[in-house]
Amino acid sequence: MELRRIEESIFKVLMVLSLMIVVGSLLAVIGVILWKGLPVLNIDMLTKTAQGGYYLGKGGGILNAIIGSLYLAIGGTALAFLLSIGVAFYLQKEYSGGTRLSSITRLSLDILWGTPSIVYGAFGFTVLMYFHMRASLLAGIIVLALLELPIMTRTMEEVIKTVPQELKEVSYSLGATRLETTLRVVAKQALPGLMTGVLIAFGRGIGDAASILFTAGYTDRIPTSLFDATASLPLAIFFQLGTPLPQVQQKAYASAVILLLIILAISITTRLLSRKYTKYIIK
Amino acid sequence: MSETHIQIENVNAYYGRTHSLKNISVQIPKKQITAIIGPSGCGKSTLLKCMNRLIDLTDGVTYSGKILIDNEDIFDRKTDIVDIRKKMGLLAQRPIPLPMSIYENIAYGPKIHGLKKKPDLDAIVEKYLKLVGLWEEVKDRLNSPASQLSLGQQQRLCLARGLAVEPEIILCDEPTSALDPVSSQYIEQQLLKLKNDYTIVIVTHNIHQAMRLADYVIHLYLGEVVEHGLSNDVFENPKEERTRAYINGTFSTELKIDSESDLKGQLCPFNFVYAKQALHNLEDGKILKLIVDDPIAVTEVPRGMEADGHKVLIVKQINKTDWEIVIQK
Repeated sequence: MELRRIEESIFKVLMVLSLMIVVGSLLAVIGVILWKGLPVLNIDMLTKTAQGGYYLGKGGGILNAIIGSLYLAIGGTALAFLLSIGVAFYLQKEYSGGTRLSSITRLSLDILWGTPSIVYGAFGFTVLMYFHMRASLLAGIIVLALLELPIMTRTMEEVIKTVPQELKEVSYSLGATRLETTLRVVAKQALPGLMTGVLIAFGRGIGDAASILFTAGYTDRIPTSLFDATASLPLAIFFQLGTPLPQVQQKAYASAVILLLIILAISITTRLLSRKYTKYIIK
Repeated sequence: MSETHIQIENVNAYYGRTHSLKNISVQIPKKQITAIIGPSGCGKSTLLKCMNRLIDLTDGVTYSGKILIDNEDIFDRKTDIVDIRKKMGLLAQRPIPLPMSIYENIAYGPKIHGLKKKPDLDAIVEKYLKLVGLWEEVKDRLNSPASQLSLGQQQRLCLARGLAVEPEIILCDEPTSALDPVSSQYIEQQLLKLKNDYTIVIVTHNIHQAMRLADYVIHLYLGEVVEHGLSNDVFENPKEERTRAYINGTFSTELKIDSESDLKGQLCPFNFVYAKQALHNLEDGKILKLIVDDPIAVTEVPRGMEADGHKVLIVKQINKTDWEIVIQK
């Protein structure tokens, strides 16, 4: 009896320890970024584009990268969503019937998920070269969508899979078609989970540097059309840190703070939104 | 017997290679309550699911035969299954509200069938919530999630939702098994009231419930119809020994048990082997009682025993995990 109690407490301590490491690392990362970034962060950083010498600029701010990143990530997430929602539903048993096509799709998605983003960048670059095009917002959006696609699809697929069979039976028994059942019942029940899927993919999209390095390019201006090159926050951090100038290097941390804040804001909004729908869910 | 509403002819169903409905032919009378009784795993729910073809959603099921509703064969591939299902409300084992508000739960059916105008929908919602006696309880919170209602209220909501598509038939699959006694009684009263306008088919393993509600009874056992007929005839004077045993078994153990074997904790196929050994030691005609807690055994042991030529008299659940199987050698 005594031994079992000790076992219990050992495992409890282990769990708390792991928990502390997880939360601790997050706090450490945020702490360092804030410590180095906050002193440099000023209103100019948020409201002005890069100025003064080359596109990194000792003066001005990184508005070009903020707007660029938002364009890229929102565009990429929206495009990926349009594709993955269909695929996620199709992968369900009642649509694809568990065919070989669906298992091949699933396998491809898993491999794509594990593919390093620089490979996406290289692929995107090759395609651009083939069509004699320059790096552009559009190309960046497309490559980011490809990058986000596997994450979003697989998350959504798993969420949709958890919708209870009985719920669908209820809808069918009321004379609903498959489409009505999917859109009005299954999607509704899965909504908070689907939103989480979108959020995770957005997070990966906005934070990725390698895939857009060759495809979206970098510039000190805010893009005015889909065919303009565009700056982005991860690349801003990358280039700023890479300069020999200490003032510019410092700015990298301020850029990181902004990136963190954007992700935090999106995260909280999604959570608040999904809480509104969670209460309707049938457990 | 009054006019037939659902005519079931030679229906067979297979789950993979398991023959779970064997040549079922019965008629279900119009505007009466028909109870399908029998132990778990006897095919009751499968038969019910055939009637609205929800069985299509289950993997690896094949079926044949005919089910005629208003002279239309619902097994015919040409029949529009959406229309058929609209004719039938379903009340499931546990209440399953849709993931939306109370109002939207009722309005869902009418909406998908083309009713758009808000005043019409309001009227329908009010009408059917009143019909199931839920209106007074929920009229001030129609927009709150249906999941916040109590289980009993949810089941009444589900009934109202089914009725709102104006079906002719109500199919109930053990509709009170998840409910407390008061809510169960309420649902039963609703069903008795509704039989004036609807044909009701109720699957139940609660004999008392069947007696209270049914006008007509079908006793299924291991996928076969053992007996069917008017409720009074079947319950008071069953023609078949197995029906008598099933009905009696649920009330009292009038049977003389010659030997008992506790096979709890034994998994299939060991419980089957032990059961055979225990039976081997008995003389012909003697009765053996088995207690099992392996869900597979509940269907497989009786099946195997029947195949060996023994007579299975009772299969019933005695508590949450345990089952009693009574076999005559």
